Amino acid sequence: MFEFDGSPVPVRDGLKNAYAAIWGHLGASGPTMISDERIGLARHARATRRGEPLPSVDLPESVLALASTLFVHPGRVNEEIVRCAADEAGDAAAVEAISIVSMLSAVDGTHRALGAELEPLPEPSPGRATGNIARGLKRRRTYLPMPPGAIPVAFDLLPDVGEVYRESYGPQYMTEAEMAFSGFRRSPGLNRAQIETIASRTSLLNECFY
Amino acid sequence: MLRESATAFGYDVDIAAVGDPSRALGIPGGDELLRFVDTIMTGSPDELDSARSAIIDHLGPESLVDAASVFGNFEMMNRVAEGTGIQIPRQSIERMRDTIDVLGLERLLRS
Repeated sequence: MFEFDGSPVPVRDGLKNAYAAIWGHLGASGPTMISDERIGLARHARATRRGEPLPSVDLPESVLALASTLFVHPGRVNEEIVRCAADEAGDAAAVEAISIVSMLSAVDGTHRALGAELEPLPEPSPGRATGNIARGLKRRRTYLPMPPGAIPVAFDLLPDVGEVYRESYGPQYMTEAEMAFSGFRRSPGLNRAQIETIASRTSLLNECFY
Repeated sequence: MLRESATAFGYDVDIAAVGDPSRALGIPGGDELLRFVDTIMTGSPDELDSARSAIIDHLGPESLVDAASVFGNFEMMNRVAEGTGIQIPRQSIERMRDTIDVLGLERLLRS
């Protein structure tokens, strides 16, 4: 798993391990969706991007629309699209759908950037939805409920999901401790200014302030 | 973030180059990194191969992995922000006011 076939350079183990953790998470049942639905959602998003026939997935059309729009055209997602999915399937299902395509975007994006073959999606595993959903969270001028704080807590309505998401950006970008240091550099590798160059241009082309 | 980190390394950065890659960014390998992102998004396979080679030549093979994974990370973060509708804190907007103006980012701020 995660051999990055086609990459012109070897990929560090920490990144492979981070993506293997995302794949393990994606292939397991989530808070509101069983594994089959989660993999189906990811397959649907990939098919939308490639312009391929869409697979049948047993999820509300509004959830599939949110996930596919976010995967292919993130700048086109607005409150109406998100609220439509949340009203039909529930806030937790909307957050789960967003988390799946967001983390899939990270893994697929890195593969595309390296010219590597996309990793096949994991096989679904048995098991019921976990129902692990935090209580008492509110919308804070956001489309969906979340605790106070910045983007690292965006998925904390679903505590297990939030943890996997937060663990992923250290190996891809920087850990929270490293982010506090403007003079950070990977050795060997990019320094913080070079890292932020990639981050800034990516966000600009995605029409996203972050 | 870019301005602060460039200052930390003593670079004389031209932030406008992030929005206009025809300008020189002022960061070692910065122009190659900007071209890399552009070609991932909109380039041909040959152009992307060339952009990868330029990073390997200028910054080394490990830097290509870093650049690719930072791109992947922001593909994720951008979708988290757009999907959840998370707000930019007012203090952050004020702190970044000059960058917002230079890059014309006002249109991307949710009211």
